Amino acid sequence: MTVDHDASRRAPLLPGLLTLALATVYLIALLAAENQTWIIVLLVAGTVAVLAAGWFNLLPRISRSFADREDALGVVAIAALCAVAAYFHDDHFVLLLVITVMLYSVATLGLNIQFGYAGVLNFAGASFFGVGAYTSAVLNTHTAVPHLLVLVIGGLLAALIGSLLLLPVLRTRGHYAAVVTIAFALLLKTFLEVNDVLGGPQGLQVPAANILGWSFNNNIEIGGVALSFYLNYFVLGVLLLVGAFVLVRRLERSWIGLNLDALRLDETAASCFGLNIVRWKIVAFVIGNFVIGIAGALFGMVGSFVAPNNYTFADSLILVSVLLLGGIGSPWGVVVATIIVVIVPEKLQTIQEYRFLLYALLVIAVLLYRPEGLLPRPVRRYFPGWRP
Amino acid sequence: MKKVSLFAALSLGVGLVALAGGAPAVAKDKVKVGFIGPLTGGVSANGLGGRNSTDLAVRLRNADPKAKYEYELVVLDDECKPNVAVQVATKMAADRSIIAAATHYCSATAIATVDVYHRFNFPVIVWGAVLPDITYRNKYAEIHRVNGTMINQNDANAELITKLGYKTAAVIHDTTDYGKGHNEYFSKAFTKLGGKILGTFGVTADQQDFTAELTQIKSLNPEVVYFGGLTPIGVRIRSQMDKLGIKAVFDGTSGIVSDAFIQGLGPLAEGALAFREGASTEKLPGGKFFMEKYNAQKYDNPPEAYGAFAFAAMNLILDTIEKVGPDRKKVIDDLSKVKDVDSIVGKITFDDHGQNTVAVITKYVVQDGKFVEWEDSEYATGKRKLPGQK
Amino acid sequence: MDGWLLAQYVMNGLMLGMVYALVAVGFTLFFGVLDIIKFSHGDVVTVGAFTALACYVGMQAAGVASPTFELIVMVVVSTLAMAFLGILIARYLVMPLRSAPALNTLLITLMLGTVLREAVRLFYPQGANPKPFPALLPKGAIDFGGFLLRLDNVIMLAAGVLVIVGLQLLLNRTKLGLAIRAVAQDEETARTMGVNFTAIVLITFAIGSGLAAVAGVMNGLYYNEINFSIGLYLGVIGFSAAIIGGLGSIYGAILGGFMFAALQTIGTVMPFASAYKDVFAFAVVIAIMAWRPTGLIQEKISERV
Repeated sequence: MTVDHDASRRAPLLPGLLTLALATVYLIALLAAENQTWIIVLLVAGTVAVLAAGWFNLLPRISRSFADREDALGVVAIAALCAVAAYFHDDHFVLLLVITVMLYSVATLGLNIQFGYAGVLNFAGASFFGVGAYTSAVLNTHTAVPHLLVLVIGGLLAALIGSLLLLPVLRTRGHYAAVVTIAFALLLKTFLEVNDVLGGPQGLQVPAANILGWSFNNNIEIGGVALSFYLNYFVLGVLLLVGAFVLVRRLERSWIGLNLDALRLDETAASCFGLNIVRWKIVAFVIGNFVIGIAGALFGMVGSFVAPNNYTFADSLILVSVLLLGGIGSPWGVVVATIIVVIVPEKLQTIQEYRFLLYALLVIAVLLYRPEGLLPRPVRRYFPGWRP
Repeated sequence: MKKVSLFAALSLGVGLVALAGGAPAVAKDKVKVGFIGPLTGGVSANGLGGRNSTDLAVRLRNADPKAKYEYELVVLDDECKPNVAVQVATKMAADRSIIAAATHYCSATAIATVDVYHRFNFPVIVWGAVLPDITYRNKYAEIHRVNGTMINQNDANAELITKLGYKTAAVIHDTTDYGKGHNEYFSKAFTKLGGKILGTFGVTADQQDFTAELTQIKSLNPEVVYFGGLTPIGVRIRSQMDKLGIKAVFDGTSGIVSDAFIQGLGPLAEGALAFREGASTEKLPGGKFFMEKYNAQKYDNPPEAYGAFAFAAMNLILDTIEKVGPDRKKVIDDLSKVKDVDSIVGKITFDDHGQNTVAVITKYVVQDGKFVEWEDSEYATGKRKLPGQK
Repeated sequence: MDGWLLAQYVMNGLMLGMVYALVAVGFTLFFGVLDIIKFSHGDVVTVGAFTALACYVGMQAAGVASPTFELIVMVVVSTLAMAFLGILIARYLVMPLRSAPALNTLLITLMLGTVLREAVRLFYPQGANPKPFPALLPKGAIDFGGFLLRLDNVIMLAAGVLVIVGLQLLLNRTKLGLAIRAVAQDEETARTMGVNFTAIVLITFAIGSGLAAVAGVMNGLYYNEINFSIGLYLGVIGFSAAIIGGLGSIYGAILGGFMFAALQTIGTVMPFASAYKDVFAFAVVIAIMAWRPTGLIQEKISERV
């Protein structure tokens, strides 16, 4: 069977490009808006636009464009992100929001590897995020380890601590597996809270990142234009996000991804075919935790503060819900869902108090009426360009 | 097709109207000032009292025709949790339109946020947190405080209980820097006066069950149980003490000086000791004026123990902005020169660390469901006796 | 450590264990009947406790004076209210998702738990603050020196035992119990035998949620205080306890509940800081899961290839 790479049968770039452009403008407008009424209007308009696109059957065209032209659109998306950052170059808080979205996306991508591809339940995502953050806190304060290396060590430590849970995770199925990671999430939070060495409930301050002598916490001045120091972290964040996204995509399409998918869909059948279940689960779990840990380490440096209350079971639940909301296994969905989950509550000040409630209701609604999520992962295509 | 475009047109129309209607005509320039305190959670009574007091200060200033600017108060909730505090502090400090703020009742939150304010060069005046480290750990020009620190409080505490003849105490403190600070200063003061600490127990700030710690304390049999922490767990500890039959004196700090403590315990609160720097609101130089104006506004919550300090802090901020204009750097410079400035809590002077000296320590004992000053109480005259009082 | 002190610790452990056991039994009932974990159970405990408190406040306003009467009314009203809530949850949230992957039900109930918790925090007047819960049981106590035997603790323990024994009798000696056990064992066969599946599921949820209300009232009476987050903590512990004991087994749930309380109490007595008691307990839970993946009382599953 020949694989059809006929370029003319690939979906056009235009739908995807237009969507990205519109989305960028919308995002900038939403982030810049201060007036509550205007924000509500924007949100309503956004929902209406999406529903209208669905009504007019534009969505399949857009998703096919994204699927076929992913590399090009990925570059465009990065450019769009940089455009957003350039627009808000001196607004500290908006940049902080953008960085938060990026790092949460990276963490959820790690969770995606574990759960979306291998089907390994992990309700302690925020705990591993916290492990990375605490690593950066401790190493930055007490040692002279170069900060880029600290990020990697944060990931490694998260992976290492995760492997403590390997035995129970591998031996349990379903609900029992859930309880293992939930118990761990609570255990870690309580441990961090009572342990004075790691700061206890008061937490630890994290010294600023300092890479090759460039201190990340000083505002930058280029030709008289004052730029927020968060732009330093933004650059790192973009690199991390791109890295994680590419990793997840490549993993999905590789033979490793194939093994993980088989493993998730039916363990018994997969092992009949000779797949080593134990090995692949370990690989997925460890790689996932590594990614989460790196994101956590960078986030610790961005926020300059780590405390046990930031990494509770409730936060792990938020990560899992983001994954569900966006569509399990879909990296683009993860990014979109993170944007919604992080930015909307921040902007709608009037609902600040009610945000957990509304958020939980939203997830319940999604679970009842659209369990595949916003941008569900399509059925795996084994031959690029193949049409049934 | 028609339905969709009609909807879109409507949305656009609403948007335009909102934009047009959103800009009122102003006579004076608007200046934003901030308030951060625990508006939800176990100590929310204090936070709300502080917020109302700050709001009162802003209102009175806006009603003053001689004021140069019109002030808007931005209120954020730190939930008495360090991580939330850092988030809201970053939010407020990163917003360049907010010039200065009166911040924090909980010491745990105040100490966590000092670096944030310093990083963004945002001047703040602390109104309720008592941990000395807040102003003394670093020399940050941005951080000031109008209320006193816990050192004097604990000195007075140790003095009173040794004077009453108590020699042994067990210490329960929460594991935030606030509780740890109290533990440190009390233990030092008490042992210096010849007292003996039989055991020290650290508990988490949201702990529910204290039977384990209290059972051990019961076996140690101290005369006094000293509690360094805030009202929510203070209430739990006192009621669980009663459940286990521990008959020691319950000796607390400024953290339990709150109506919520008495409401939570009812008759069990009787005989509890507490200490606070600064005189009671009524006895402050500007206390009557403050209470009069506060009651006139008919707020839902009373000012609580530190409302007057919040009012004084915000007034100082507003005065400074009136003097030097809405510029953060100028405000920081001017606040460092504050010396003998009049306020409702007395004269304010900031030392080189931004700390105001508050000499008076008020000793309280709970009598008949109210915090009564020790000297005025029936315990001091001997008509009533604390458990084990000689 | 003298005997009386030991007795005090045992008493503390028993009280904790009783509350945990009641919550754990609820979890196990739901699992047995529908093969799902209803995570919102812990928060139903919170809602039950607050319902009882609201009842009390209402009665005080109406001028009722007798503590026993108030207590009985509170228990009855909150049990019935929670039973009704349980039926609603089962009917509209859990049953429609029976064909969906188990994770969806898990998540939906977790989110529901959040909704319940936030609703209490936001809509009950000043819900974010801890609320004093009236002490309605008789106050007598016998002091043995190191050990204070309180009458209200004894009454609560006795009540808890009665409830559990009652549940056992219900399940083992009545026709309803027979139907519940049949559905738990094999849904399809039970249906062919004429058991009304939906009705039984709803009734089971009602019973489980009623138990939660009792646990909530007990918790309130024991600590003389309730706040909106007690459910989260109790829910996870109840779940862990049910898991340790093996899902689907009532004895296992009770065993798990008391075991967890024992672990926590042992954790406090150990030479190292009592603050680590929760860390210790959860670590043991994870270790047990590694050793016996389906709980101490093994679930009888066979996977046929």
